[in-house]
Amino acid sequence: MKTILAFRESEYAWVHEKFPCVHPLLLPLCNKPFIEFLIDFAILAGSSAVRILCDGGLGEVERYCEDGSRWGIDLSYASIHPDDSIHAMLGKNRKFCGEERVMIVSGFSFIRYDKRYDYKSFVSSMPPGEWSTCPGGRITLTGVPTKAVPDWLIADLSLMPLDSMTSYYQASMETLKTGESRYVLPGYGDEPECAFGRNVVISKSVEIRKPVSIGNNVQLLGNAIIGPSAIIGSNVIIDRESSVESSIVFDNTYIGEHLEIIGRIASGNRLNDPKSGASIAMEDPHLLSGIKKNRHLRSLPRKIVHACVALVIIAAFFIPFIILWPLLKLGGHWKSSPASFLAERTDETMPLAKVEVDASGAAAAIAVALSLDRYFRLFRVVTGQLALIGSTPLLAGESRPDAPAYVPAYLPGVFSYAEAEEWAATGGDATIVERFHLAHSNPLTDIGLVIKAFINRFQEKSTI
Amino acid sequence: MNITETSNGAIAIVAIEGRLDALSAPELRNNRSVIDPEKTVVLNLEKLDFMNSTGLGAIVGALNQKLQPDFGIVLSCMNDDVRSVFEITNVQKLFHIFDDTAAAVEFATTRQGAHT
Repeated sequence: MKTILAFRESEYAWVHEKFPCVHPLLLPLCNKPFIEFLIDFAILAGSSAVRILCDGGLGEVERYCEDGSRWGIDLSYASIHPDDSIHAMLGKNRKFCGEERVMIVSGFSFIRYDKRYDYKSFVSSMPPGEWSTCPGGRITLTGVPTKAVPDWLIADLSLMPLDSMTSYYQASMETLKTGESRYVLPGYGDEPECAFGRNVVISKSVEIRKPVSIGNNVQLLGNAIIGPSAIIGSNVIIDRESSVESSIVFDNTYIGEHLEIIGRIASGNRLNDPKSGASIAMEDPHLLSGIKKNRHLRSLPRKIVHACVALVIIAAFFIPFIILWPLLKLGGHWKSSPASFLAERTDETMPLAKVEVDASGAAAAIAVALSLDRYFRLFRVVTGQLALIGSTPLLAGESRPDAPAYVPAYLPGVFSYAEAEEWAATGGDATIVERFHLAHSNPLTDIGLVIKAFINRFQEKSTI
Repeated sequence: MNITETSNGAIAIVAIEGRLDALSAPELRNNRSVIDPEKTVVLNLEKLDFMNSTGLGAIVGALNQKLQPDFGIVLSCMNDDVRSVFEITNVQKLFHIFDDTAAAVEFATTRQGAHT
């Protein structure tokens, strides 16, 4: 048997508006992307091949699901016309369908199935036609049944339209409560209704109230209360004495100190009320933290300290720089190209040179070890455009989920906190570490972290 | 790039082989069936290895010349690389895309019959 999963952009337009950082088909339900639930169901129904059809882009979905080998099926992708009926979809995918029985799941709706039922026997014995429907979604079977329906066979399911944030919230909470008994869900845990991902750091005083689902690389700090009914995504920090109850926290979100998140969906710097559908973007760098004193006034001591330390570094490395730079430049080991990076303020950019030092040879190795490739950027610290240590500067013009427009906790620096803490300087892990330090560091700890970053780069002798 | 043209009744089946880029796009643009506004064309892309924006422009331009933009150009047997070019530019919505040329011809014939 084969399965076609068909979607139209108009069905999930609300997801683009409310959660712009995630592709609607990868919208997490209990820390598992929506599309995976449908693929699981297709496998339970006995499908050997699944094709995803959409009239919009599928690039992100393709990168995530690839060819389906992870699930042991053949997964392929195709485009449809916005007006295509089910009959037209079958015609357009005739080669894929072949002579086999085909199950078509169309519409952006959640299937309430139960993994304990024998859907495979049920599907192969059902007559062709509609199996289940809901507003905006349906499951249809084509082809001749291969078996007779046994009387004892029960394979109940229903569809739930995901047409708003309210229904998305309901589906997520329902999935969390029914949990492992009905669906295959991510995470590990000895206790029922309690699933944890990898690298979850829980302080001793944290209280966890079931049911909860927690993703990977999560930090729960002192006296935080998680649950009941909390879904925490990956790369999340819940800071001291905050509580998350009956809420969903998306990946890469930072919840500040002393906060209560009850019955909400938090995504980056956006806070959503699933009941009313209201959504607000927080101005403050850290989601829901209290109103802080003037940001520029607060950042002034840090800028002064950073500028002073930068002047010291400029003076200390002046002689090695003035010797090695011309040598490397003439030898072709020092390559510099101009690029535009996002500045601290949203919507502003600044030109910075991207320096690449080919570390083959003693002079180049010394230059990299001494971080001379960052030397010119130190002058930007003196002028206040860059911090000495902060976030990794982001290239302008790239649409990315960690861009300041979505996550305002961004302070571009010569060195990054991720480099100082030896986190892999890629992906969400580094982003969340940088955001944590931006909230908790002070000018003095910054000096220590700069020294750590220097030492780490010296040991790595990496090419930047 | 090689263009092979066959016909099935009133429908022209144009098979493109190789690369569709700035060098080869004029050949497609000047194809007699492609520039004929009344002719319905099924473009078989099964052996199209590479296509860039100029190639995409040639296909969209061909569609714009047709009197029936809904089915003037029908695409078939698109591979994943070519499909991604269509998706990046969101142009896939303009076309009817089939994974089987015979099905594409059937569709074009039915649509043309209903129109005339």
